[in-house]
Amino acid sequence: MKAKLLLALAVTFPLSASAVDMTWSGFGTLGFAQSNQPYPYLRFIDDGGTFKSDSLLGAQLDLKFDQHWGAAIQAKLAPSDSSDTEWNAFLSWAFVSWRPVDDILVRVGKLRVPLMLNTENSDVGATYDFARLPVEVYSMAPTTDFVGFSVSKSWLGADMEWTLDGYYGEAKNYTRYYGREARDGVSAPGSWFEKLDIKSGGLVLTARSLDNMFRAGIHEAYASQPGGTIADIPYVSIAPGLGIYDLASGRSVEHLRIPFQNVGTSILLPGDVRLTSEYARVKVNSASSGLSRWGAYFAISRQFGVWNPYVYYAKTKSTDASLSLYQSVNGNVNPMLPTAVNNYQKTSADIISPYDQWTAAVGTSYRVTPRSLIKSEWSQTHTGEVSSFVDAPSGGDSANKRINVFSLSYSFSF
Amino acid sequence: MKRNIIFLLLLFGGASTFAADDRLVVIAHAALSKTDLSTLQRVYTGRIVSINEQAAVPVHLLPGDPLRQQFLEVILGQSEEQYTGYWLVRKYVGKGAPPVEFATTDALIKYVTSTPGAIGYLPASKVPMGANIIFKP
Repeated sequence: MKAKLLLALAVTFPLSASAVDMTWSGFGTLGFAQSNQPYPYLRFIDDGGTFKSDSLLGAQLDLKFDQHWGAAIQAKLAPSDSSDTEWNAFLSWAFVSWRPVDDILVRVGKLRVPLMLNTENSDVGATYDFARLPVEVYSMAPTTDFVGFSVSKSWLGADMEWTLDGYYGEAKNYTRYYGREARDGVSAPGSWFEKLDIKSGGLVLTARSLDNMFRAGIHEAYASQPGGTIADIPYVSIAPGLGIYDLASGRSVEHLRIPFQNVGTSILLPGDVRLTSEYARVKVNSASSGLSRWGAYFAISRQFGVWNPYVYYAKTKSTDASLSLYQSVNGNVNPMLPTAVNNYQKTSADIISPYDQWTAAVGTSYRVTPRSLIKSEWSQTHTGEVSSFVDAPSGGDSANKRINVFSLSYSFSF
Repeated sequence: MKRNIIFLLLLFGGASTFAADDRLVVIAHAALSKTDLSTLQRVYTGRIVSINEQAAVPVHLLPGDPLRQQFLEVILGQSEEQYTGYWLVRKYVGKGAPPVEFATTDALIKYVTSTPGAIGYLPASKVPMGANIIFKP
């Protein structure tokens, strides 16, 4: 697919190099994060420390054929989204853009969905001050990249630029699961990744000025897998008063409908205080019903010269129904049953993928140059009933955890 | 006495001439018509790519150049950090690349006078004869 995209870009514009303005740029983050807990949080962060949580390296090539036609290709090297041990090179963008008039922009190719305020530029740490974008919100989208098209229409006001983005496309996306007792076909703790085919579309309205930004979006995705997707985890009675929640007996559906809505704002208040807040909610009617959740954060920052200290509070919570189901499945352990059956219940509970946690963080960025930042942050995450951001230790669960995370990173662009 | 007066006239006359010559003016390729502040702001922030249906290709001097700093403050009302940050985000959300930059005013003049749609800025003292001045702050 990537090769086809590049080939399509190449044949669409068989222009001589001299007719094209080419601009290379690069970006990256070298980030270290360490927690006070032995079990991993956000895949990689534990008390041993890691560079994998936030580090990446990327490059972008912007091509300008004339005033109306252009193209961009962006690639990055980062920890794989389908393995916890590998690094992969990704083609983040590869699109052709056409601007027939000033206020319309059409892009076709591999694009990033304009979801949250910083989704499109989330890989470029030099463009925002948070050491890590609040995971309670930024992890919610069913996909952030797609191959398809987007159309943007802009209206220019005196101070504000209004943009309505509409998009539609397809993506192959991986959903990570972690089994604390067993994983996909293996009687040992570990992670595995389910590949999903996703078709998504949406409308996003953005208002942007030099100091302020507002955004609201409605999106709808359809996810499918070859052979169907399991939509629930029914309780199956195996003896009077005894039963199991059996994933294998779940109803199979051809595709899942995943509606997603979000709003966000970043405004400059008197006294140079910046208030940034975002809210999103998503619904997933599958066996992983815990993915149906809301998330929000509220951040305050103020620039003092090259320093930009901030605090934020973020929270996410799955629906009551999915948290209740998780408790039922997780608690359905009977000493009379074989260990494998009890572990099956634990794994089924993990597959529900529920979330209930909040994070408070305090940090600062230090602008070394207009294109580079050093960031430092301390955060404390409290889990409630459960959090799938935590790889729960075997024999335990992720409830009522307190996780302190220290992060230090250097982000640059050139 | 006369020599002193002439010296003083030269001194102050020269100073006022320099002050006048250092004023920033915006020049463009011959085909572009005169424009206003709001349009220039939109061109240099990538929000429009044409003026009166003529392609507009803004160019800059390099960051750190005092004239660029003056342009950003007077025309765009931004600091270098704000402007760079604005384009950094715009570029990485796929909405275009920032204006091309030139190391010297001579290189900028050469590009603007030879490239249809090009727009740049100069101190008044360096505006070449016959140049198309499209805006004076």
